[in-house]
Amino acid sequence: MTTNTYGLIKAATNVISGFSMIAIIVLGVAYMSFSNAFVFQDVKIEIVNNPVENSRDIEFMMIGYKKHECNSTRVYGVAYAEDGTHSHDLNLFTKQYTRNTRPGEEMPNQWSMKVPQDMISGGVYRVSMTGDFVCNYLIFQTEKSQTYDNILLEVEPR
Amino acid sequence: MDVERNQKIAQQVERWDLYARLTPTIFLVGSMFLIVFKIIDFETAFYVGLVGFAFTAVVWWWWAIFTIKYLVTVLNRTSKNLQDTAIEITQISTEIEKIKDDN
Repeated sequence: MTTNTYGLIKAATNVISGFSMIAIIVLGVAYMSFSNAFVFQDVKIEIVNNPVENSRDIEFMMIGYKKHECNSTRVYGVAYAEDGTHSHDLNLFTKQYTRNTRPGEEMPNQWSMKVPQDMISGGVYRVSMTGDFVCNYLIFQTEKSQTYDNILLEVEPR
Repeated sequence: MDVERNQKIAQQVERWDLYARLTPTIFLVGSMFLIVFKIIDFETAFYVGLVGFAFTAVVWWWWAIFTIKYLVTVLNRTSKNLQDTAIEITQISTEIEKIKDDN
């Protein structure tokens, strides 16, 4: 191998290595930013028909925007009695929420859930709504979970 | 002793140079291959890269500290030896001048 060829190969590997390093750093930073971001930002969830009358469902309203493409795989709620004595699972949807809302836009969303059958005596509850998501960004994909706590729920006796 | 060690350091520098030129490309291409064929996911590649990066940084840092320490010691010794040589040359010159004057 001549000195010229060796010099050329050395220079080429230097340039390729430099670009590889830039690619690694850019992808690494993008991945960290993606994996640490919350699914919803500026989010607010409320129950709009408090107190929930007999035979009516719990109606939720949400506003917020998604930074990335995220599709929900599971959404559920837990209603904790305000006195801390018991809790009820909320997982029976009577009206579905809009799925896969587009990222970057503030989108109102709403859904309804059936009052659990064992919530006979009614009362004041604090609801936690949790969503499990699969999110995509560029070449990355990851599973995320986000919980919104402390939503006031008042249920009238059944 | 110094010559042998200096050669060792020159070899180590060559090895670091080769490592710096090949590792990023090999890691990038290798990771892409493994991710595309779903052998690992991006998260695994990210953490492997992070550990590799941290390990390289720590090893390089200590190597650089020890090498700089050695080079500074060699530089100090060389300066002292040069000073001694300069003093000796001055003394020899003085003595030669004296012999010349005596003759």
